[in-house]
Order: sequence, then structure tokens, then C-alpha cells
Amino acid sequence: MEKIEIKNVNKFYGKKHALKNINLTINQGMFGLLGRNGAGKTTLMKTLSALHQKKNGSITVCGIPIENAKEIRSITGYLPQEFSMYPNMNVYEALDYLGTLSGMTKSERKERIEMLLKKVNLMEHQHKKVKALSGGMKRRLGIAQALLHNPKVLIVDEPTAGLDPEERIRFRNLLTNEADERIVILSTHIVGDIEASCEDIAIMNDGKILWQGTVSELISNARGKVFTVNVPKKYLPQIKKDYIVTGMLIQGEYNIVRIISDNIPNLQGVHTDEPNCEDAYMYCLYQNGCDVYGGEE
Amino acid sequence: MLFFKECKKILFSLTFLIYLVAVVGFYFTQFHEDTEDKIYQPAPEFTDYGTIAKEVPEILMPAATDGLVTEYLRGYYKAYPIGFYKKVQLSEKKSAQIAEIITEITGISKQELDDYADFDEGGMTMIPDGNGGYIPVVEKPNIPEINIPDTMTYEHFRELMHKADKIIGGGSDYSDDYIVGTFSRVPKTYEDALADYNDIIEKDKVTGAYARLFCDYMGIIVSILPAFVAAALANADRKSRMEHLIYSRKISSVKLVLTRFSALIIILAIPVIVLAFIASFSVSRIYTQNSTDFLAIPKMSVYWLLPNILFSTALGMAITEISSQLIAVFVQGVLWFASVMSVSGGLTGSISRFTLVCRHNSLYGRNIFMESFNNFLFSRIFYTILAVAIMLLTTWIYSEKRKGGFNVIHKNFISKSKT
Repeated sequence: MEKIEIKNVNKFYGKKHALKNINLTINQGMFGLLGRNGAGKTTLMKTLSALHQKKNGSITVCGIPIENAKEIRSITGYLPQEFSMYPNMNVYEALDYLGTLSGMTKSERKERIEMLLKKVNLMEHQHKKVKALSGGMKRRLGIAQALLHNPKVLIVDEPTAGLDPEERIRFRNLLTNEADERIVILSTHIVGDIEASCEDIAIMNDGKILWQGTVSELISNARGKVFTVNVPKKYLPQIKKDYIVTGMLIQGEYNIVRIISDNIPNLQGVHTDEPNCEDAYMYCLYQNGCDVYGGEE
Repeated sequence: MLFFKECKKILFSLTFLIYLVAVVGFYFTQFHEDTEDKIYQPAPEFTDYGTIAKEVPEILMPAATDGLVTEYLRGYYKAYPIGFYKKVQLSEKKSAQIAEIITEITGISKQELDDYADFDEGGMTMIPDGNGGYIPVVEKPNIPEINIPDTMTYEHFRELMHKADKIIGGGSDYSDDYIVGTFSRVPKTYEDALADYNDIIEKDKVTGAYARLFCDYMGIIVSILPAFVAAALANADRKSRMEHLIYSRKISSVKLVLTRFSALIIILAIPVIVLAFIASFSVSRIYTQNSTDFLAIPKMSVYWLLPNILFSTALGMAITEISSQLIAVFVQGVLWFASVMSVSGGLTGSISRFTLVCRHNSLYGRNIFMESFNNFLFSRIFYTILAVAIMLLTTWIYSEKRKGGFNVIHKNFISKSKT
């Protein structure tokens, strides 16, 4: 079975320890890498795409050591967080150019480009210049270029950031379909994307893997730790100070507040609630001693 | 095929359009008129045919000594160590060594030289011509009277000049390359002028003379503008935020960089070669009676101008990969300016082994050009090899960047620009 194995990997940017002793096994199918901005996800994605070098440890992608960059690049498709293409090329030309760089023959390129343009719903826009595409179209073009050479591994970094809800759903479905026959790594800070499309996930923070398992295991960890309480508005500041609040619903003078806590909060009317993925993610951060209201430095 | 895709990218870029307009414009404004002028046979009744460099010890020895004494008293020496002008100021120890050479040649001691109070380095002054205008007059430097004893042999004198050149650091007027051309010039006779003319007709087959002038003009422009186009192409991936899409492809860095380099060279050379053929066609129309070499201008363009295009392109690509497009154009501009503005022997001849922009701004003076021909060949080979070396370095830099390295200068530059 095809898999990615990461063992004891460290990476530094000067003195900054960007990846801290990463150990991870990623099997075929959708794999979600969840973490806030600045957690080290992009660094890990780039390292797996042979675009960054690790300091030490070992990485094998489908049995190929990461040091063998040319082979890694031939089996990996990468969609970076921020990208574009030559603005004056049209959609077909841009894919054709990248296909040439992947060593594909003219007939292979023609066949794959047409198939992928249909798949990402850009067939009727194939003669449109890249600069004329909307954000969602560009993202779909991005996924088409990453799949162009039919890679065994697809790495997508924050692909849904900035997309409207329909585009986001369409994009997630596209990735899920592709995961039938390859490893797809989805890196994101949006919990909803992971919940909707991934079974296996890892949570990253400050260059470390905090947790690895399935979404249901993550939710199960938070079971009994999520509470809701209906409180008058005036108590909100104190509740926020004492507990981790993951949600608030305003109802007139009262607020329904979702709280994460290891113990039952000493609040009148509090009751245990079923955790969702977002609660479970926040609980994981809390459990690992992270500043849950913090973010990118 | 990648090569043709890269060619297409360059052809449809704005910088190439600017290059094309500049090259074609430069040709038609600076050179094309010359293709309508015939080279005339010198007439015996002329009194001035110019000068030529001829190794005459009786002329060379006093002139070179005057030059050395003038520069000693002035306190600095001009030199072109790698083809670019350099003002050399010597240490006390080295200055004393130059004084020793002067003493050995003239008998004038260091003390006498240092105590000489009436020194004037001379130069060009304008004096009234009596009709309300001014005429330029060359004033000789005011230096101690020089007498070279008969015991000083020419061979030993040249040895001393060679030594002086070494002390200065090479590339001075006293070097073996420059000493004759600078200090031993004699008036050209009718016979010399006729011989030069005959060489142009027989050896150059006429078009060779036009080829030198064509390359002289075009060399100015193709030594700088290719850097703009190369830098823009090298920067296109970064500007389009396409770097990582390309870095993550299977293609090797060597293949990608060298394909882009080859595409640039071919596309940048095509307008020059086309203009060379246009020039050949124009010239051959006015020389219907002579046997001309129709390919002389295109051929000379290849071995005269191609090294400039190679070097400028390579440097533009390399610096853009390391830093930014702006820095690449700036560095190339400085080198070009230094080379064009520091032509040691005027606009004809005196090409050193490291001259980047070779000049011969005349249809005549084939003999002057041939005097520097070995240096000319050396410089062409030198810049070709240098361009290849720079490109190999660029492929290594590109390969490192694909692995996440070598972004230091660019990042620093960008962050400084933002602050």
C-alpha cells in the first residue's frame, strides 16, 4: 500500500525551529493536516514536495526517499497556498506549459488536460486568459495543474481560503473524488473542510504534531468535555475569562454559550453537549497546553 | 517542446518588444546611412591621412618617458586592467620604484622630481580664433626636460616599461598591449592609406569594413539590452507567483535554465542577424563593381556580438535569480557604462583582452583593428566562456532555490524595500 512515512523530522529557518521532531504516517485516501496559521503546515507541505530541505530525520514518499527530489516531483502534485500562472497565457496554454515541464508528451498532455478541464468544470473557459479567471476558477485550475501528471500524491495547501461556500464545497468534493486512487493531503486551518472530507487527520501547532488519528477519535476525546449554558449577557466576560468558549448564540438578554472544560463548570443550568469537530480541535489544543485564543505570531 | 514555448514567451513579452524597437531604431538612426557611403580610394594630393601606430624607438622612448614622468608628477596613473578604466594611486614604496625607473632612463633623481614646482599636466584648452569663436589647442604637460642617454638600449627601455606596468598593476599605457599604440604614432603616408584601402577591397572584400562598423554600433546596444529581457524572463515566475508550480515539476534545473537561456539567445540574436543581412544587402547594392562577401556582416556579427549577447543575458539571468530584476539591470548597466565610457584608445583600435564593448567606429583603419585582433579574439572567447560559467552557476543557484535555499539576498532586498 502507498504511504508517506515521516520519522523524527526537524527543520530550522535560521534559529527558528519550524518543524519539531515530526513523526507521521499518511496512508492512501484523504488526510487532513489541521492547524492555525503559523503552525508549520506549509513548511511540512513544502518539505514533502521536495521544495524545502529538512535538517534531519527521514521521509519516504511511496518508498522513495525525499532526497531523491526528481523522483519525488514526478509522483507528487502540489498546489501551494498562494499561486497564480502567467497572466497572459490562456487556461489550456498554462496547463500545456506545466505538462511540458513534467516531461509529458504532446498526446499525453492533450488527453489529460481535456479530461481535467472537464473534471474541474473549466472546459468552456480553456481559451480564457488566466488573469480573467475568478478566484474559484483559479483554484480549480490549480488543482488541475497538480493532477496533470497523474501523481500518486496530491498535496494541497489551504486550498479553500477565500472561496465562497459553494466553491468550497465543490472543491472539497473534487479532492475527495481524487483520494480514491492516491494520497491526498489537505492542509488547512478551516475545521469544516477537514470534518467534511477527511477521516485521518493530524493537528499541528508550533511546529509539532499534537495529535494524529481519525476525526471520530478526535471527537470522542472531547466527549464529556463540552458544555452549554444559558447565561445573562452580563456574565459573559467572566465566563470567557474562566473557560474556553467555542460558541455563543445570542437570544435577547441571554446567551447560549458552549464551553470546553475538563470538569463540569460550576454554573447554574449547565449541561453536557455532544462535541463537534471544532470543539474537539479546540479541546485538543487546550489539552496540549496551547494558548487557544492565540494564533500566528 | 519546451524550447519553442520559451521562445514564444519571450517573443510576446513587453521587454522583447522594447529590445526590438531599440535595436532596429539604433540601426536605422546610427548605422544605416553609412551603408550608402562608398569607401573612396585615397588621392595622392591629400596632406593628412591620419596616423598609424608604428614601432619606432626614437619616437616611442621619449614619448613614453614623458608619459611616465607626467603621471608620476600628477600622482596617479590610468590603467585598464580588465578593460575598464581604473585610476591607480601607488603607495610610497611603489611610487619610489617608478621614480627609480625614471632615474635610470633620464638621470633625474627622485628628489629632483619631487621638488619640481612648475608641473602642469597640460590638456585641451580653448583659445579665441579672432573671429569671436574658439579653437581647441592641446597644451603639452610642463615637466622637467628629458634627455635619454644613447647608452639606453630600446630592449632595456621596454623592459623598464614592462616593469613600470607591473608596478602600476597591469593594463597601463606602458604595457606591451598599449605602449606602441599610445606612444609611437606616425603620420600615415599616401602609401599607408592606399595599402589600407587595398586591404579593405581585397582582404575585407569591402563588406568586412562595413561589418566592423555595424558591430561597433550594435555592440553598444546588445551589451546592455539583453540583460533587461533576460532579467524580465527570469523574474516572470516570481512576478506571476508561479515559482512553486514550476519548482515542483519533474524537469531538471539544468534542462530548464539552459533551455530558457538558449531561447533567449536565439530570440535576441535574430533581430541582429536580420539587420546584418539588411546591411549586407544595402552595401552590396552600391558595390556592384567589386567582389564582395555578402555574408561578411552576419558572420562578423556572430563572433563579435554573440559573446556580448551571451554575457549580458547570462549576467541578467544570474543576478535576477540571486536577487532581483532591478539589481540585475543596475549591475549590467554599471558594467556597460564602464566599458563604453572607458575606451582606452578612442573609438578605433586599442581593444584589450578584457574589453567587453569592442569599438571600431570607422569604415577605415583595418590595420589598426588588425593590430588588436589577437586581443579582440581573446576578449570574445573570454566573455563566451564567462557567460557559460555564469550559466552553470545559475543552474546551481536555481537548483538550490528549488530546494528552498538561496533566497537570502532576495528576501533581504524585499524586506528592505517594504520598510
